Amino acid sequence: MKPARVLVVDDNPTNLKLASDVLDCAGFEVWKAADAEEALAVIQRTKPDLILMDIALPGMDGLTLTRRLKADASTRDIRIVALTAFAMKGDDEKAFAAGCDGYIPKPIDTRKLPAQIADLLQRSSPPS
Amino acid sequence: MQVDLANLSLEENPDACILTSADGRVRFWNRGAEEVFGYAAAEALDQSLLDLVLQKSDLEAAREKFQQTAAGAPAVWECAARRKDGLLIYVDLSLKTVRRPEAGIDLMSVTAKDVTPLKVARDANLLEAKYRGLLDSTPDAIIMVNTTGRIVLLNGQAEEVFGYPRRDLIGQPVEILLPERFRGGHVGYRGNFLSQPRARPMGAGLELFGLRRDGVEFPVEISLSPLETEVGTLVMSAIRDITERKIQERRVQEANRLKSEFVANMSHELRTPLNGIIGFSEFLIDEKPGPLNPKQREYLHDILESGRHLLQLINDVLDLSKIEAGKMTLSPERFSVSEAMGEALTVIDAMAQEKGIDIRTAIDPQLGKVTLDRAKFKQVLYNLLSNAVKFTDDGGEVRIRAARSGPDRFQVQVADTGIGIRREDFSRLFAAFEQLESGADRRFQGTGLGLALTKRIVELQRGTIAVDSEVGKGSTFTVELPLAAEEVMA
Repeated sequence: MKPARVLVVDDNPTNLKLASDVLDCAGFEVWKAADAEEALAVIQRTKPDLILMDIALPGMDGLTLTRRLKADASTRDIRIVALTAFAMKGDDEKAFAAGCDGYIPKPIDTRKLPAQIADLLQRSSPPS
Repeated sequence: MQVDLANLSLEENPDACILTSADGRVRFWNRGAEEVFGYAAAEALDQSLLDLVLQKSDLEAAREKFQQTAAGAPAVWECAARRKDGLLIYVDLSLKTVRRPEAGIDLMSVTAKDVTPLKVARDANLLEAKYRGLLDSTPDAIIMVNTTGRIVLLNGQAEEVFGYPRRDLIGQPVEILLPERFRGGHVGYRGNFLSQPRARPMGAGLELFGLRRDGVEFPVEISLSPLETEVGTLVMSAIRDITERKIQERRVQEANRLKSEFVANMSHELRTPLNGIIGFSEFLIDEKPGPLNPKQREYLHDILESGRHLLQLINDVLDLSKIEAGKMTLSPERFSVSEAMGEALTVIDAMAQEKGIDIRTAIDPQLGKVTLDRAKFKQVLYNLLSNAVKFTDDGGEVRIRAARSGPDRFQVQVADTGIGIRREDFSRLFAAFEQLESGADRRFQGTGLGLALTKRIVELQRGTIAVDSEVGKGSTFTVELPLAAEEVMA
């Protein structure tokens, strides 16, 4: 079976590398982007199955990008998982309201992350 | 032109000249009566005079005067009357019967003279001589008001605070010193105070404002007390201009807000690099990128532990600052104490097994479910249990008991056989950043924030925490909490 394609979007290079390497090591095909623009460029080139999306991004933030992708018929079926360091009450609701399919608070647990991603990918596709 | 002088004298009389029927209903009401009582003739006609202008407490005495006059002995007396606008005034009343049996006339002539200014001036002089020196020696503005709400005495501080010279205030209704919007309510409030006079302390209750002569409002604190004098009951009010203090309070609030914001931002900024430190060391220890030799594994383990310790510290500081800023929220839910205890213990059990410590739990089956913030309750349990295990030597014991302690409260007790705490250290125990064995020989890892945070969380839920201990024998921490806590929103 072809490995699932995951796009990791994070403006912090260390955290971007960490999440990417952990997923890469777990057998996913990983793409990276440091902001919304880079993410859109990657999505045009190769449509990922899932995006691990940092919320606080310079320029267009992660929630805005999520809303945009979920409004577009050609990208609507990409799973989007919000990733944020602000593990505050209400942040998860904001993420779901923007159209995210999952929510992972930072700091990420490297031992659980691959399973969390695989689990989200296995759920039935969102209606497109 | 013929002038009816008798009629003119009646019309132009500054006093109230009134005629009532034998049963006290108004039959005639001159212009003076309109001035004195504030009712137009049309409003007063046919009304019961006494019910219209007197206070309930004075009705009985006035009816007697009417009967006495009707029996042939005209009455003259002074009493308080209420104007249409609610203001109380002092009036001299005189009664006389007017009978013309041949014309079928049986009336009562009532004359009422407003003596408020006279009486206030008289009272003011008397009080001034007696109390002025005393009042000028107090730091607060003091204003004395008589039963009709007229200012009868004030000290120099009051002149200064309100910006009026004394002569402009004596005899004025005290409402002149209030912003317009409070005046109507104050007249009624004043009446209530006089019907049940009791001392009321500074600043009890409401946000109050004064009005200076130049129209500027300022926040005040007022205490009221009734004062019995030879001229009747007075209300003494001590007034303090708290403009400065309000400004200071706002500054402190602003500084606190900035501090909390700073702590919240800082902890976020600190957490981001920690994400890398903890994540990569975990990743390496798991040998995902490749095999490690034993020393590398040991050092990575040290990095990981230090990173986790730092993360705990940051979380605790953030929690403490949230509680101090009043921003910690509570979301109570119904859950079983033994279930929550089990969850907290799964984390502790590994630590306890490593040190060979025996943990035993006794939860009263009658305790059942409680309604508290479950995560915060578990945080409290976890802090107490991890302390108990941490400060108990290998092979020791930790005992947990939970049971009801009152109709709506319960207790959780965590007892260990650890190193114990000296009695003189009990008070320092719950202070932030205090670990009792601090210094070079500090054997125990910890943030020094655990108990400070635990105490704050317990108190936020209206609970208490207490400690009992003996050095070398062990410590017992007792937390008492309500069975149901109220929701706390930030």
